[in-house]
Amino acid sequence: MNISEQASDDVALLRRAAKGDEDAFTDLYRRNEAALYRFALRMTGNTWAAEEIVQEVFMTLMRDPKKYDPARGALGAYLFGIARNRVMKHLEWLPREISLDEQNENHSGATAVIDSYTPVHWAEQRERMEHVRAAILDLPAEFREAVVLCELEELSYEEAARVLECPIGTIRSRLHRGRALLLAKLEMLRGAPRRASAGH
Amino acid sequence: MKCEEFEAIGLGLERQGSIANGTQSAERAAALEHANTCPRCAALQDSWREARVALVSWRDATQQAGAPGRVEMRLRQEFRTRHRTLKMRRRLILAAWTLATAAVLVAFASWWNWHLTQNVPRQEARLVGAGTSSAGTGGERGGVSETVPADTTDQGVLLADNEGFTLLPGSLPQETQDAAIFRVRLQREALVEFGLPVNLERASDWIQVDLLVGEDGQPRAVRLPVQSRD
Repeated sequence: MNISEQASDDVALLRRAAKGDEDAFTDLYRRNEAALYRFALRMTGNTWAAEEIVQEVFMTLMRDPKKYDPARGALGAYLFGIARNRVMKHLEWLPREISLDEQNENHSGATAVIDSYTPVHWAEQRERMEHVRAAILDLPAEFREAVVLCELEELSYEEAARVLECPIGTIRSRLHRGRALLLAKLEMLRGAPRRASAGH
Repeated sequence: MKCEEFEAIGLGLERQGSIANGTQSAERAAALEHANTCPRCAALQDSWREARVALVSWRDATQQAGAPGRVEMRLRQEFRTRHRTLKMRRRLILAAWTLATAAVLVAFASWWNWHLTQNVPRQEARLVGAGTSSAGTGGERGGVSETVPADTTDQGVLLADNEGFTLLPGSLPQETQDAAIFRVRLQREALVEFGLPVNLERASDWIQVDLLVGEDGQPRAVRLPVQSRD
């Protein structure tokens, strides 16, 4: 199924859901929840917050499905926009919230990657991921969302610009600054300070 | 390519699928060339590659992450509740409108019924063809010279309201129920025949009076218009 087919399918599902078709709503949810959850998780670093955000996104869709205008873009981008707003609110209110579960368990917020490497390698990889995670969560929100969308979600600049409702040039510059800051933070976390043109 | 351009563009070229068209491949070549000649940018590129490896690791680790099943359960429950409530509300609104419409219809029907029952006596009291009846009335009573319709538009048809009429001797109130009103012109002295007192000084004056005439053509009551009473 190509993108336009999926978009029109999404619109049809949304119409059915608006009329009370629960299966259509469930289909819509299953199509979009994973990407939204990952985005929220990577932005907040908190599984509870990500869960809450996904729920709020679909509650918003449920409450007012007519707010979505197919002429303005795909439903996925619209949902990302809502998720982004929720994430921003969450970051404003709870800038440093870390759940106890995550502090005590896997910091990635996901199941551990099972591999056949040695425990040392696994520990190194885990430490590196933790550094990345901490560095990303330490980025200012606007740079963080550019990095998450473009580097982790692998959206194109155009798609990211649509989600963030800003010009492509802004995405490029945010990404550039985000990368520079990320590098600086990673090096700082590794305890090997090296000059990076973080732009600050 | 300068260092600033390399920082802005060169790092982004590492992204998966970024080598999409000719422009980007040219940029990539220029960036690689610059990295080969600039040790600072080469170090930056190395750092970024390392960071990207870590980023990709984290991305892969979270790639399979998804919202827990309880979110779907909660949303579905909310969906059901919401739509059930909406359905109920719609039904209630529909029922309320139906009841309101029914009440209005009943009220209108009642009013119409009442209106019809009010109109029946009036319609029965209408008199059509005043000219034919007036001939008989004028001929029987002495001094009554002519019958003049009260209004030229309704040709002597008047509505009986029984107000201001004086029953003539020998007439019963029940007899006036189906009576019709005639406005006639007569000499004042003719009122004597109806048993009414007359000012003899003005006995020859022509006056207008309303006669309540029964179904048998006999006058039952009389009413003097205001200007004729003096």
